[in-house]
Amino acid sequence: MRLSIFRFNPEQDEKPYMQDYEIELEPTDQMLLDVILRLKIQDDTLTFRKSCREGVCGSDAMNINGRNGLACITVVRELKEPVELRPLPSFPVIRDLVVDMTQFFKQYHSIKPYLINDESAPEKERLQSPEERKKLDGLYECILCGCCTSQCPSSWWNPDKFVGPAGLLQAYRFIIDSRDQATQERLDDLNDPYRLFRCRSIMNCTEVCPKDLAPSRAIEKIRLMMVKDSL
Amino acid sequence: MRKAVTGLRAWLVQRISAVYMLLFILLLLFHFFLDPPHAYLAWHGWMKNPGVSVATFVFFSALLLHAWVGVRDVVMDYVHPLALRVSALVLLGFSLMAIAAWVVRILLTEYG
Repeated sequence: MRLSIFRFNPEQDEKPYMQDYEIELEPTDQMLLDVILRLKIQDDTLTFRKSCREGVCGSDAMNINGRNGLACITVVRELKEPVELRPLPSFPVIRDLVVDMTQFFKQYHSIKPYLINDESAPEKERLQSPEERKKLDGLYECILCGCCTSQCPSSWWNPDKFVGPAGLLQAYRFIIDSRDQATQERLDDLNDPYRLFRCRSIMNCTEVCPKDLAPSRAIEKIRLMMVKDSL
Repeated sequence: MRKAVTGLRAWLVQRISAVYMLLFILLLLFHFFLDPPHAYLAWHGWMKNPGVSVATFVFFSALLLHAWVGVRDVVMDYVHPLALRVSALVLLGFSLMAIAAWVVRILLTEYG
């Protein structure tokens, strides 16, 4: 299998370059991560993040043949050769395929991703009916891998002002949580020309989410709530 | 550009104006299909109808508001230096106001 991988070591290189690799696939090579881990035997300077190897931690998010995805759950034999691997688009590159996620997490923190409930804590848990709990499905599963936000053109043009699909999905996760009491404040916080409304349903986010979540649907639901609120 | 021109208001204006424009264009095409004006006088007479000229004025208002939101979105996306962005938006605003004045002039002098 032929691969072409983005390389950049700020301590040595003036600018990034693409390096070609050639490797024999073994029967045990199922996912892209298996292959690039074996590539490190050829070239141990190749740098990338990885952890769970099963698609739940989000560490190995990268741009694979133009589409963001997780290397550990991308079936390697389905990829067109030469396989082009690049770091997540628009995030600052620390080295090779490792990117700086600071801005991404800053936007996540800005939507207050925690339950806001000022009532005194109950003895056991805050109760929630099965129907109320069902509303959180498709929202809580986000692993914050960054595939969606780094594929979003609105995030590319205004990463510091637009919250991004991941942040907005989590904002909705707390907005419709029946136990949360800060719904109005959360909606007001997003009612700004930039924070939510840079989104115009391009839907790259939903297309690349490795957990099959739909940030564009969550954003639409927030918009509808805002409309209902204002009318 | 904070709460003054909230994101929601601009978004609603764009969609509501789009709906009106679509309906207007469809009705206009429908009218031209059923009862096409054969000469300038017929056209002029039809446009002089207060209902038609008022609806046309509303159409152009909707168009200019829609254009304002649309181009403003593009400027906000791509123009980051504050001075440049403000200048672009001011230029846009003045251009659209000029077009609005021109539309009013046409409707009043020709079909008033």
